[in-house]
Amino acid sequence: MIEVSRRGFLRGVLAGGGALSLAVTFGCGDKNATRIEHADRTGELAANLYITVKPDGRIGLTINKAEMGQGVTTAYMTMVAEELGVPIDRIDMKYADSHPGMRESFNMQITGGSTSTKEAFGGLRHGAAAAREMLVAAAAADWRVPVTECSVADGKVVHAGGHTIGYGELTKRAAHLAVPAHPTPKARKDYTLVGKSDRRVDARAKVAGTAVFGIDFTVPDMVNAHVIHGPVYGASPTQVTADAAKRRVGVIDVIALPFGVAIVAAKYWQARAAAQDVTVAWSKGDVHGLDTAKMAQAMRDYHEDGTVAVDQGDAGKVLAHATTKVEVIYEAPYLAHAAMEPQNATAMVHGDRAEVWAPTQSPTIVQTMVGHALGIDRENVLVHVLLCGGGFGRRAIGDVCVQAALISKRVGKPVKLTWTRESDMTQGFYRPVYAVAMKGSTHDGKVDAVAINCLSQSIALSSSDLIDAALPGIPGPIKKMVVNGLLAMIGSNSVPDMFSTEGLSNTPYQFGNLHVASSPVQNKLPVCSWRSVGNSVTGFVMESFVDELAVAAKQDPFAFRRKMLPTTGKQARVLDALEKLSGWSTAPKSGVGRGMARHFAFETEVGEVAEVEIVDNRIKVRRVYCVVDCGLAVNPDLVKAQMEGGIIFGLSAALDQEITLVDGVVQQTNFDTFPPLRMFEAPEIIVQVIESPDDPTGVGEPGLPPASAAVANAIFALTGTRLRRMPLQRAWNERGAK
Amino acid sequence: MKLQINGKPVDVDVPSDTPLLWVLREEVGLTGTKFGCGKALCGACTVHVDGNAKRSCVTAVGDVGDKPIVTIEGIASDAVLHPVQEAWIAENVPQCGYCQCGQIMSAVALLRAKPQPTDAEIDAAMSANLCRCGTYPRIRRAVHRAADAIAAGAAK
Repeated sequence: MIEVSRRGFLRGVLAGGGALSLAVTFGCGDKNATRIEHADRTGELAANLYITVKPDGRIGLTINKAEMGQGVTTAYMTMVAEELGVPIDRIDMKYADSHPGMRESFNMQITGGSTSTKEAFGGLRHGAAAAREMLVAAAAADWRVPVTECSVADGKVVHAGGHTIGYGELTKRAAHLAVPAHPTPKARKDYTLVGKSDRRVDARAKVAGTAVFGIDFTVPDMVNAHVIHGPVYGASPTQVTADAAKRRVGVIDVIALPFGVAIVAAKYWQARAAAQDVTVAWSKGDVHGLDTAKMAQAMRDYHEDGTVAVDQGDAGKVLAHATTKVEVIYEAPYLAHAAMEPQNATAMVHGDRAEVWAPTQSPTIVQTMVGHALGIDRENVLVHVLLCGGGFGRRAIGDVCVQAALISKRVGKPVKLTWTRESDMTQGFYRPVYAVAMKGSTHDGKVDAVAINCLSQSIALSSSDLIDAALPGIPGPIKKMVVNGLLAMIGSNSVPDMFSTEGLSNTPYQFGNLHVASSPVQNKLPVCSWRSVGNSVTGFVMESFVDELAVAAKQDPFAFRRKMLPTTGKQARVLDALEKLSGWSTAPKSGVGRGMARHFAFETEVGEVAEVEIVDNRIKVRRVYCVVDCGLAVNPDLVKAQMEGGIIFGLSAALDQEITLVDGVVQQTNFDTFPPLRMFEAPEIIVQVIESPDDPTGVGEPGLPPASAAVANAIFALTGTRLRRMPLQRAWNERGAK
Repeated sequence: MKLQINGKPVDVDVPSDTPLLWVLREEVGLTGTKFGCGKALCGACTVHVDGNAKRSCVTAVGDVGDKPIVTIEGIASDAVLHPVQEAWIAENVPQCGYCQCGQIMSAVALLRAKPQPTDAEIDAAMSANLCRCGTYPRIRRAVHRAADAIAAGAAK
């Protein structure tokens, strides 16, 4: 994937001129002139695409990310407040609309891959420093003093000689100065907010009920839609009877579309209630006949080596001569994301243009998908980002936006489409299924070879729109060839699928001899990123397996891992702190099993120890100790919250959740059959955030991968039974059965 | 149909089998009450009817009659938040925040019935409310904090 660099951001800064409003055009005329003109007209210093200083001294911040609970708005406001020397509450934030200049991640405007804070530390922070330097330079010039004698405090520039002036009075003069190409951000030792602040900026609105989520959003003249989806993913209506429904109060139209039957009404409930008066005959659908139990068996029985992603040393040879050897298969099911806010979007199509308001992780993917569906250029699709009631990867897919747009095109009005929970859960884009065959050997108390064959469904193969969205500047027909060529290579197993082996192929373990191969499982049920993506499975696989090897080698799990991990840096810091925090040297009390796991994902190291009991055959996770090294923690309490959230999200999946299909029909439709962990089973969670010397790295996802393995390892410690298939509760119930 | 919502009389013209949730959201414009599952499985739609926590997604508006309805918008007075809301902020509970209004409505009802709940009582009362962000440990702490704040307020 494409590296996101500070340089990339600064290019945006320099090219951006005064573009805070989308109305400001890029690339024509003198950039400084654009900024000066903007300042003369509005009194604002628009330092770059993201940061503007207003005449009243307040700071406008445009965030090109989605807030879905991870705290990105808090983190970004904290970083900008720190650089500019203003209190956080003097910043007014808004979400960026879709904008070509804001495609900062993988050539897209996207919130994912736990990248936001890292990106902003490289980019936004420098943009804020640049704004500060312009304000300081303007004041210093006014006072005829060197900038080195000036500092900033509480929204003012201060000179050692006693002058002070508020930012608001400097905006116009600062706009006449060039944007510094190499601004110097504040030194870490001088921070007063970053690493110290523990508040969330959005808590009050969220507890008062005033926060406006996508589902709460309205535009004038808007109508509401409910879609009846078919019983099998991809089924289309072949015959629709809706006369009675059309006569109901409020109902505007009932429309058969390729993806289902849309009922459009003034109010949502009018549309939803009218569904009982609609009968539909369906085509067979894209995944007709798909049976996940048969699929799992076929994956278990598949033994051909796949495309090689890593081949260090000669694992095959070492394994062939090994005396202490472990050969096992780990499995993981499809999973729905099931964010609390059901999928929804509001769309308006007018001619060859479309406007979408959606709780989305990626305006660029929505632009691409809606553009394709409507047959219009993606730049003609304007996307407004709304607050997300959870995302977890599912909101990086624009299918609900496409459906809203196609309905709007038919009714000629803005349409808000709200999916039912049942549609949210059955309409595809799942975490991929996996079967991972692991072979490993130990010698002299150390692992000396690991060979991995990873079977999973490819996210890349499911998401041609995603790849399409990430390839800028290539003309349509050529891009189509590139995308299709890339997909064909993955599909024919000519290149490895990086999503499926992440967490295995880039493991920090030094095994000496490592072989990693992968093969894509192919069907038409779409899959997508799910919190921590491939790591959600590979963390379970690798850490369960290392635990098995430690048992085979009769080694303590901490000591065993230390022999294969770097002796300094994140891995070492986390292992040391976790051993201490969890009281590992003291045996757990009787009836309690204890297991540990660690994983490195999104450049962050997380280690966890789980304490588990089994009560009436129910796996009870009582306590989880967690240590995280994510570099500098911008808001340490938010980091803790993300670890807690990642652990509980991971435990829900590890213990109970799976999406299964019988004859193409998804069997889980709501929270009764796809149960998230509830309060009474939520473990106590104790998190330690390492005071790390490194720059910020990912936080939203890395807490999840170790949780499942820590629990499985604890169950083994308690019972001697090794559970190698998620969900673990079902594996426990079926233990011993063949 | 006449309803009593947050202390005010409200007239709505809807079929009596319309779920209270959608009456609140679409007819009255109170969108703090959320749609999550439609089957009383997640608690995002929790409101108080006659002082009791109810899942408004499965409560037909016709069955409510003149019983007082209180939503998240009705538990605070103007600028002053309810102690439970304050405790939620103090413990940094919300992540995405979508479920939290329902969580808070359940907690307010719990504390009215049991001013100093044990962990087991919190588990029993709050387990009908799902949170996908995993804020449960903080909710537990916030309920205790709110209980203490309410007790301290009453002692004054």
